[in-house]
Amino acid sequence: MFGWFGKVSFVPYTKVSDFAVHLKDGRLMGSVCADCGRFAFPPRADCPDCLSGSFSYREISGVGTVHTFSTIAAAPTGFEDMAPYTVVVVDLEEGGRLLAWAGETLDPADVKIGMPVQVVPRIFEETPEIRVYYSVEEPGATWGKAPVRGGEG
Amino acid sequence: MKLGLEGKAAIVTGGSLGIGRAVAIGLAREGVDVAVNYRRHDAEAKAVVAEIEKLGRRGLAVKADVASFGDAEAMVQQVKEAFGRLDILVCNAGITWDGVIWKMSEQQWDAVIGVNLKGYFNYNRAAAILFKDQKSGKIVNISSINGLRGKFAQTNYAASKGGEIALSKSLAKELGKFNVNVNVVAPGMVLTEMMEKIPAEFKNTALAETVLGRFADPADVADLVAFLCSDRSRHITGEVIKIDGGQYI
Amino acid sequence: MPRVGVIGIGHGRFGRRSDATVQELAFEVFRTALEDAAIERDAIDASVIAAVPEYHKQRSVAGVVQEYLNLNPRPTWLTEVACASGSAAIRTAWMAIRSGLHKVVAVIGCQKMTEMETAEILALMGRVGEVQWESVFGTTFPAYYAMFANRHMHEFGTTRDQLLAVAVKNHHYGAMNPNALFRKEITLEKAYASDPVASPFCVYDCCANADGAACLILADEEVARAHGDRVVWLDGVGAASASMSVLRRPDLVGLPSAREAARQAYEMAGVGPGDVKVADVHDCFTIAEIMAYEDLGFCAKGEGGAYIEERRSYIGGDVAVNVDGGLKAKGHPIGATGVSMAYEIVTQLRGEAGERQVPDADVGLTHNVGGIGQYTFVHLFRKE
Repeated sequence: MFGWFGKVSFVPYTKVSDFAVHLKDGRLMGSVCADCGRFAFPPRADCPDCLSGSFSYREISGVGTVHTFSTIAAAPTGFEDMAPYTVVVVDLEEGGRLLAWAGETLDPADVKIGMPVQVVPRIFEETPEIRVYYSVEEPGATWGKAPVRGGEG
Repeated sequence: MKLGLEGKAAIVTGGSLGIGRAVAIGLAREGVDVAVNYRRHDAEAKAVVAEIEKLGRRGLAVKADVASFGDAEAMVQQVKEAFGRLDILVCNAGITWDGVIWKMSEQQWDAVIGVNLKGYFNYNRAAAILFKDQKSGKIVNISSINGLRGKFAQTNYAASKGGEIALSKSLAKELGKFNVNVNVVAPGMVLTEMMEKIPAEFKNTALAETVLGRFADPADVADLVAFLCSDRSRHITGEVIKIDGGQYI
Repeated sequence: MPRVGVIGIGHGRFGRRSDATVQELAFEVFRTALEDAAIERDAIDASVIAAVPEYHKQRSVAGVVQEYLNLNPRPTWLTEVACASGSAAIRTAWMAIRSGLHKVVAVIGCQKMTEMETAEILALMGRVGEVQWESVFGTTFPAYYAMFANRHMHEFGTTRDQLLAVAVKNHHYGAMNPNALFRKEITLEKAYASDPVASPFCVYDCCANADGAACLILADEEVARAHGDRVVWLDGVGAASASMSVLRRPDLVGLPSAREAARQAYEMAGVGPGDVKVADVHDCFTIAEIMAYEDLGFCAKGEGGAYIEERRSYIGGDVAVNVDGGLKAKGHPIGATGVSMAYEIVTQLRGEAGERQVPDADVGLTHNVGGIGQYTFVHLFRKE
């Protein structure tokens, strides 16, 4: 399932594969170490502080600020049809950072270091297969979340 | 089995009569707020709304011609605003206008395709846009076993019913990643007001086709539709379920 | 502490070497280094090869090089830390000699980059960062450093003119280096006119791929002293790592691995930044050289832009930096670059750099960074 993540995937298997499933359902997930409580985004199965391999997912808000960015004109294989596109490094409110594209509501020309942004889970809508990503939008951007699966009826 | 439909909201097209009426009331009985459209039968539509309200749910009757792209868009918006949400679309509105092809007028063809096939496109599209953004939804398109087989004097009707099936399957592929299920219910002969007008010999021929020796009640179809609108059928999508007493096996 | 000395050096022409295989490139520089050291092949105990394997059709490059150089059955192995592979190989040889296991070790940095199809190279370009969380969005090597540049410009007011001044300087010196890929000077106007790569970078902010090789022969103190007075001592050896991912760096305006590697090298050699006369730093992109001035302590954090603007890194300034053309003008055959840097510093400390000679060069430094700063190796050389 992690192969769903990104425009081109290089990592089909990982211990945090469910990150992509949650992303498809509209949830950005970090990880919390089951033993020492250390939080990480992006999520990781193995705690960098203690030796634990047990973790749980914790949803984050996606609220953050722009740390830096660049508009890429010379694209690598698989991204040529998108060029130019803008990658943004976002410092997340709950801690951690992510890298994503400047999205639909955010004009790349308007991206400024220090500005507040909202990271939004996204699905590539027009591909037949499932592909997911997240994008950097203006603060206040909203999106749909799939209902949490209930128990048996 | 608990369907878990309490508090949801639905649109049932052609909900003032026959199968549609049964589906609307059946959903209301499961705790769903239901909106129905009507083109001419406003009294019947209001009666359905009254039944829904008697069951403790909210009901809404909207005048809308299913063949109108704009009416469908407007109705979906109106219902979303009135109920605060929309979770379910059941497309049921349909007409017949039979005739062998060499006697079928252009108008006969266009009308049946327009109401049945284009009508389902209009509502499916408007609901899909909503359901995709909210990452949940259920669409049930009511077709017919005559969408699965050829039927004498029904080139137009069969084409529209077959088209509804192909539309539903394609739509299931587009909406799957957004947690939206799209399924088809294909009844055989159902005892509705529309069927009462059919000559006795055609009814008997149809009855003889069934292996259960009976026709469906509208409530039989409503039960299947309710199941397909619920989380109990969450893993069923792009499917066509016949409900025909074995009329076409 | 016993010292390790450089007794022989060799350097080939960097560029599109469609005329040679990687082992043929290695042989050119090995031959030169052996002659320069005036030793026989038999004197060599082991070799360490530096090459980045992904770019070669030949798998396991060390094996084919060792055979072609006729160094079998001596031990050999590949050292790879992206663009810092050459310096890592030098550090490995230094450790082997200091441990007493070997007396004379040949280090060969050799790299082909033109054997791959353009599409393959472009695909490799997209996998420089952390592939799990970053490459899926199409990041590229220039884009990472461009993001460092944008942040540096934001925090310290560094300007585009200052960035491109690095390119102008390095092309100025590259024009005097017969081994360089680019041997023409450039102007600021020409640099500005080049195609955009990743904002704020254009083509002239970025180093170019190249084929090439360089060789260093290192020896223990006994062999080195018997060698005569052209020996140059590798007295300070520092190395450090930092997070692969930019998402976990403390800041994006410098390289923590470079600061730590430099600290270790200075301490081991017993010198400070003020003692360094000549340096080869890792100018994969213009901002990288500016950050290097700061990380190496040549100036304070944030003043790297002023440093180049005031020509303090030219010959005659404070520290002559990249006066062989740097990666920018030489080209960047990944595995060879670190060894090429050492070649230049040794040449300078021997007083044999001709028109590019830095006066009174007695202490020199190489700063070799792997990838986007996940590895840095700093080596401090002294004449006596």
